[in-house]
Amino acid sequence: MIGRRLSWRGRALIVSVFALLLWAVVYPNFVVLAESVSGDGGATLRNYAEFFRTSSELWALWSSFWISILTVLLSALIGVPLAFLFAGYEFPGRRVLGALAAMPVLLPPLVGVIAILFLYGESGIASRFLQSMLGLESPPWRLQGPGAILAVHAYSMYVYFYLFTLAGLARIEPAVFEAAASLGAGRFRTLTRVALPLLTPTLAGASLLTFMTSMASFSAPYVLGGGFRVMTTQIFNSKLQGEMSMAMVETVMLAAVALLVLWPLSRWEGSREYVAPGKGTRSARVPVRSRWARFGIAAAAGVGVLVLVLPHLTLVLVSFVPDGAWTTETLPPAYTFENYVQLVSDPRTFRPIINSLLMAGAATVAAVALAVAVGQLVVRWRVRGRALLEGMVILPWALPGTVLAIALATTFSVNQPWALRWVLVGTPWILVLAYTVRVLPLTGRAALAGYRQLDPSLEEASASLGAGPWRTLRRVTLPGLRPAIMVGASLAFVTGLGEFVASIILYTHRSRPISIEILSQLRDFDLGAAAAYGVLLMVLVAGSFLLGQRWLGGS
Amino acid sequence: MDAVLGLQHPGLEQALSAFLHLDRLSRAFDGAAAVSDLSLEIDEHEIVTLLGPSGCGKTTTLRMVAGFEMPDSGRIALEGRDVTRVAPQHRGFGMVFQHYALFPHLDVGANVAFGLDASGLTRTEIPGRVDSALDLVGLPGTESRSVGSLSGGQQQRVALARALAPEPKVLLLDEPLSNLDATLRERTRRELRALVKEIGITSIYVTHDQEEAFDLSDRIAVMRDGRLDQVGPAEDLYHGPATEFVATFLGRAGAVQAVVEARGSSGSLRCRTPAGAIWDARASEAAPDAPGSAVNLLARPEALEMCGADESGAIAGVVSDRRFAGSAYVYSVKVDGGELELQTTGDVARHGDSVGLRPVAAPAGLFAFPRRPGGAG
Repeated sequence: MIGRRLSWRGRALIVSVFALLLWAVVYPNFVVLAESVSGDGGATLRNYAEFFRTSSELWALWSSFWISILTVLLSALIGVPLAFLFAGYEFPGRRVLGALAAMPVLLPPLVGVIAILFLYGESGIASRFLQSMLGLESPPWRLQGPGAILAVHAYSMYVYFYLFTLAGLARIEPAVFEAAASLGAGRFRTLTRVALPLLTPTLAGASLLTFMTSMASFSAPYVLGGGFRVMTTQIFNSKLQGEMSMAMVETVMLAAVALLVLWPLSRWEGSREYVAPGKGTRSARVPVRSRWARFGIAAAAGVGVLVLVLPHLTLVLVSFVPDGAWTTETLPPAYTFENYVQLVSDPRTFRPIINSLLMAGAATVAAVALAVAVGQLVVRWRVRGRALLEGMVILPWALPGTVLAIALATTFSVNQPWALRWVLVGTPWILVLAYTVRVLPLTGRAALAGYRQLDPSLEEASASLGAGPWRTLRRVTLPGLRPAIMVGASLAFVTGLGEFVASIILYTHRSRPISIEILSQLRDFDLGAAAAYGVLLMVLVAGSFLLGQRWLGGS
Repeated sequence: MDAVLGLQHPGLEQALSAFLHLDRLSRAFDGAAAVSDLSLEIDEHEIVTLLGPSGCGKTTTLRMVAGFEMPDSGRIALEGRDVTRVAPQHRGFGMVFQHYALFPHLDVGANVAFGLDASGLTRTEIPGRVDSALDLVGLPGTESRSVGSLSGGQQQRVALARALAPEPKVLLLDEPLSNLDATLRERTRRELRALVKEIGITSIYVTHDQEEAFDLSDRIAVMRDGRLDQVGPAEDLYHGPATEFVATFLGRAGAVQAVVEARGSSGSLRCRTPAGAIWDARASEAAPDAPGSAVNLLARPEALEMCGADESGAIAGVVSDRRFAGSAYVYSVKVDGGELELQTTGDVARHGDSVGLRPVAAPAGLFAFPRRPGGAG
């Protein structure tokens, strides 16, 4: 395509993709930035001055930061050794336990938090069990404050380190480790001088992802924070109290910190990518020979995995508890299918499921279409401004969902068609828009990677056989991209299904998604119904993942 | 202890005399034997090549010597000391990997120094040793270059320098030239031989390329299906192959079915071909010598000459292929009971010609091997 003049249709596509991304991804952020410095009919920094004068604001910003740093450290401490264990050693049950170790990804953030609440909360199963065992007057701990947030973060985010490290280890040519051994390096030296340096880009990537996720985390601090505030909950509260200008300043500050960390770390991540050359000898896992060690490792791994899976089991258990039946007992005394029956039979409770499926589906379709167009423009046509295009696709990943929600809520609450602003707040469309922008990095990265792996000579072959651009796209390009797109789409869909952070700022009663309904059931102390929604989400997430995996395997 | 073991273990006494001794090594993967009962003795300063087609077990053998694979049974002894269970990092064997396995995060100097600081040398000694190792492979002054900026040939030399720098007792090379293009490969091959000979390091070289094996080795060990078919200097293997596989894997050979007529002089067999001609061939150890036994008669292309189709002692046939190979012409000739090959300096026949073939100096270049039922030439 390079050097060939594009048809008017091609040019129209370029213009509309640029325009759409600028409008949906970039523009709302500028609106927030602009409105945060406006007041009294002119530009003012008064809101910022107030922000920096208020100690609770600064505390919240600082809390977001240090919670995220500690989350990264804790997650790495759990995930990296676990990956080394499962990648390096052969012991009974390795496969099953290795797969189960990734279980926390099946829980959307809010569902994970409530599952842990049911288990370790003040009236959770584990807490009550310990209380009655030890004969304590009060629960052994209170699941509240920064410690609780950190625990939940580590539980759900160590998976990034675990999966990244597994993938990173698989990319290293095994002969490199053998070369180190043949040069006299022992296990420790090989680890510190070869394995960890080679994993640096991988670990930087995992750290970055964990840090950004933690900065953006809303569910854990919202449910478990108590009086402890981080930036995301601070923004939500300001919005709730109608202090929009303060919410906007907070939004800008959170976005600024996120981008400040992202920028240097992402450069570091990209600058040192080592790719294994050619074929390697299959890497041999060290079989653990001693019977006691085998038993010990398997038992330890089993207990570890049980800890990881307990929240899921708890959620399933609680979903069978009738409304109001579980009061002071350790385990719920009665069980029923009623919650599930009601979920689908009562239009009032069924509504959020339909809403979530429709809105997540629509957002996925939109984000995939946009991602494929961007892939074509960036990788195939190599249009001018492709770096900007790629940047716009990735940007929403760097911006916390709360930031996005405030930006959209600000931008689309007025009717100014000349400024490309319409009133979308109060309609389901604002949620679809928010979901689309949120999942765009997932589909975008997948499509870009897919395009880059697709041999361009296939498309040239198609053209040489007389196929026009449309036919080539339909018959050659899209089928080639299908595995990548399916993976991106399944990730996007499950993210949309469980979306909570932006939803809680943008929903209306009519458009409420599952996550919001879980929260309101929880407020009504209808734990069983909340858990049933959670299980439903978990099953949908698992199903979508399996589907995506199947497509990946088929490629 | 050794003496006690020696009683139970007949291999051990030999192990004491040989520098490196592989003693009845076996290794299976998921029940499929990769190496079975392989024994090999290697003298100090000797270069031995493990040669065989892919999947014959040569790399597995080398990896067992290096310590990356544990043999299911058998032992490896260095200078009479059993090293079978010694971890690779304590074995002190240098290895050059097929894809070099250079550490991508370290520069050339740090790669070469890696084995030196693991060996406990002081900081002041290392740079000199790195220098001399790089000098040795003809890459002086490249210490600070990144390994990614080197060409394939240079990476191969750095890998060699890195393996040699700690002065290992044994050098193991796993198809180190397979990633180079043809011309570079030939040049590197000669340099490699000169270098290894100059240092005098005991080496095991793994390859599937017979030219490499011919060029580099003092002795060649031909492997097939996890077993050694024959071990010896290249000339011995070429002129006296022990098995039909060795005869065809090392050099070219045509084959025709024949039956034993009688024993000939000095270990040769008189064989009758289906066309009626009687040729003398060197008898392999396994070849049956009873008259009437079925054998495959293999002939090197250069051991035959062309003659009239009806001359006595000749086999008549039709030229089925003619190839120009630069210094010679090679003809394939279909004959009764097989197909023979002939190499001549002049262009003497066309495709489809009827010709006769006869040995130049039988039994040289002609070999008789047992023919299994159903097996054809």
